[in-house]
Amino acid sequence: MTEASPSVTGPALLEVRDLRVHFPVTRGTVVRRRVGWVHAVDGVSLELATAETVGLVGESGSGKTTLGRAIVGLIPPTSGTVLFRGRPFDAKVGAQDRAERPHLQMVFQDPMASLDPKWRAGASIAEPLRVNHIGTRAERRERVRDLLEVVGLSPRHARRYPHELSGGQRQRVGLARALAVSPAVIVADEAVSALDVSIRAQIINLLQQLQRDLNLSYLFIAHDLAVVRHMSDRIAVMYLGQIVEQSGAADLYRDPRHPYTVSLLSAVPVPDPAVEARRKRIILPGDPPNPASPPPGCRFHTRCWLREQLGGPERCAVEEPAPQRVSAGHTAACHFIHEVQGRAA
Amino acid sequence: MSAHSHAQVATGDAVLSVRDLAVRFDSGRNVIHAVNGVSFDLEAGGALGLVGESGSGKSVTSLAILRLLPRPTARIAAGEIWFGGRDLIRLSDREMRRLRGKEISLVPQDPMSGLNPVLTIGEQVAETIQAHEDVRRGEARRRAAELLGAVGIPRPGDQLGRYPHQFSGGMRQRVMIAIALALRPALLIADEPTTALDVTVQAQVLELLHQLTVERGTAILLISHDLGIMARMTRQITVMYAGHVVESAPTVEIFARPSHPYTAGLLRSIPRIADVGQPLTPIAGSPPELDRLPRGCPFAPRCAWALEVCWREMPPLAPVEAALAAGAPQSGPGAHLLACHNPVAPGEVEAGKPLRPGFRPAPQPPEYGLVTEETA
Repeated sequence: MTEASPSVTGPALLEVRDLRVHFPVTRGTVVRRRVGWVHAVDGVSLELATAETVGLVGESGSGKTTLGRAIVGLIPPTSGTVLFRGRPFDAKVGAQDRAERPHLQMVFQDPMASLDPKWRAGASIAEPLRVNHIGTRAERRERVRDLLEVVGLSPRHARRYPHELSGGQRQRVGLARALAVSPAVIVADEAVSALDVSIRAQIINLLQQLQRDLNLSYLFIAHDLAVVRHMSDRIAVMYLGQIVEQSGAADLYRDPRHPYTVSLLSAVPVPDPAVEARRKRIILPGDPPNPASPPPGCRFHTRCWLREQLGGPERCAVEEPAPQRVSAGHTAACHFIHEVQGRAA
Repeated sequence: MSAHSHAQVATGDAVLSVRDLAVRFDSGRNVIHAVNGVSFDLEAGGALGLVGESGSGKSVTSLAILRLLPRPTARIAAGEIWFGGRDLIRLSDREMRRLRGKEISLVPQDPMSGLNPVLTIGEQVAETIQAHEDVRRGEARRRAAELLGAVGIPRPGDQLGRYPHQFSGGMRQRVMIAIALALRPALLIADEPTTALDVTVQAQVLELLHQLTVERGTAILLISHDLGIMARMTRQITVMYAGHVVESAPTVEIFARPSHPYTAGLLRSIPRIADVGQPLTPIAGSPPELDRLPRGCPFAPRCAWALEVCWREMPPLAPVEAALAAGAPQSGPGAHLLACHNPVAPGEVEAGKPLRPGFRPAPQPPEYGLVTEETA
C-alpha cells in the first residue's frame, strides 16, 4: 500500500498503484511530431473494497474519466498497476486479462452513444455474454430476461431499439449490459448526470439496490458533489491528474482540508434558499489550467485562495505537496492542511 | 447603481406577462403539444426561474418569448406575451428584430452556438452595439472593451482581436453575457446558462449574472432543471410539467411549502449534502408523450395523490387557500398559485404520498389515453 491510499476496513478488491496515463500531444498533419505529453492521470493510488462505493470528483481535465477507463482497461496505462483481488491486471497481458476483464465493467454517461443504435436492447445486453462465450443462445436469452427484470424493465423491452427507449430506460439497459457478466466492480462514469431529476433519483436508487443485492463495488465518477455524497462511502477529489484529497465521505464534507475541496464544496448550489442567502462562497479565479502544462509545485497554487490568504508562500510554487495524513483514512496533498480550517466560511 | 431601462413597464410593475401561451410543433402526422396554456408574470428587475425537466416546455416558452421558434414546424397557437406595453406575438419580424438584443436578450446554454466562429470577439460585441445604436466603429470597440472588462475578462483591450475558439467555455459564456447586457435590456433570458460549465466556473458565471442584473436593474428569466441554482438565483419559481404551469410561488415558499405532487416529488428526488443516508423517493414512471396528451392532469399517471377527477380534468391555476390566509396576494409576484385537485398537505412532502387513512390514488380509468386534448 502506498502512502496516498488510506487503509480500508476490508481487503482491497481493487487496488490502483501509482497509475499514470500520459497522452502524446502532436502537431502537424503530414509529419506528426510529438511536442509534449498530457499527464491526464499522474500518479494515482486508490483502493476499493467489496461492496464499497468510492466517489471520484473533479472538473473537466481532472483526469477522472481517463482514470476510470484505464482501470477497466479501455486505455493502456503508461505506468503503474491495477490489482484485482491482489493480482495484477494489465491491459498488455492478453490471456489473463480476458479472464479478469469481465469482473470490471463500465457504465457510461450517454447510453445513446454507448448502445449500438441498430441493435435491439436484448442484443446489446447479450453481447458481453456472446463475446465471452458464456452460455448457449437459449441460456443467454433467459439471462437477458432476468437482467431486464433486475434493472426494472420488462421482457418486452428486449425488442426495442435505443431510440424507442427513454433516457432512463436506456441507462437501465446500459446497466443490464454491464451486469451481464456478473462483475464485481462497476466503474460508473457520470452514469446519472444526463438524466432528468426525477429519473436520476430512480437510477440512483436502483444502483444502491443492486449494490446491496449483488455485493457490487462502485467507482462512481461524477461532477455533482451532492450525488457523489449520496452514493459514496469514500471520496477522492482529483485536480489536474492527481488525487488532492481522499477520505471517508462524511469526513470530507465536514472537514475538508485541501483548499480545492473547500472551494468545490462552497461552489455547489444548495437547493435551499435560506442556506443560499447566508452562504459565503469562495469563488476561484480563472479556469483549471491546461493539463498539458500543469503549474510547477502544487498544481492548484495558481488558483488557490488559501495561498493568497497566507501571503503567497514560495513553497507552493516550487514543491509538490505529498499526501499528508489528516486522520485515519483521510489524506490531503497540501502543505498547509492545518491552516485551512476556519478560514473558509 | 443605475436601474433605468429602455422598455416601458407593461401591466402593473411586470416587465413580462405571459398569458395562456400555447405552442404546437407539427411533426409529420403528429402534433406535439409543447406548451399548453402557460401564464406567468415577471416583475421589473425581478428574477424568475422556470423549472422543469426535458419536455416540460420551459425552453420552448423562452423561444416563443424571443419569437425564435423554428419555422415552419413550430407555431404559437394561442396566448399573449406582454412586454413593454406590446404583445410580442403581434409584432412584425422587423419590429421583433429591433427589440431582440436591445430590450430582451438571451444567454444560451452553449456559448459556442451563440458566437460566430469566424468573427473576432471584438467584432461581435461591437456589432451588437452598432446594430441598435448609431455609433462609430471606434466608439463601439471602446464600449466593447469596457463590457468585456465588466464581465471579468482580463486585459479586455487585447482580447478584442481573438476568436471564440481561443477562449475557454467559461470565458465564452462571459462574452455572451457581455453581448446580452451590451444595450442594457429590460429582460435577460438565460437558458441553462451554466450547464456546460465546471462547478467552480459555474459559480463564477452565476455570481456575475446575479451581480450585473441587480446592478443594472435587468429582470432575469432563468431556465434550469437545477434546483440549487434556482435557490441561489431566483425570487420566484414557476414549475412546468408537460407544457403546463403546475405551481408558481416565491422561491422561499416553493421550497418550504411545495403543494403540487410534482414539485414535492422533485424536491424529494435531489440528494442533499446536508441529510445523508436519507433514501431518495423518486417520482415513479416517466413524463408523457407530448403528441398524445390525454385529457386531464398530465401528471396523474405518476401521481400518488390522484383523484378520479384528475384523470378527466386539468385543474386551473388558482391561488392556494392557505397562502391567501397567510396574507399572500391573489396574483402577481408574491402569489402562490397551484394547478392541482388534491394538493400535498404539509406533512406529506417527506413521505412522498398522502398520509390520510384509507386514501388510495384513483386508478387509471380504461378510457384514459383514448381522448386527447383538442388540437389547437
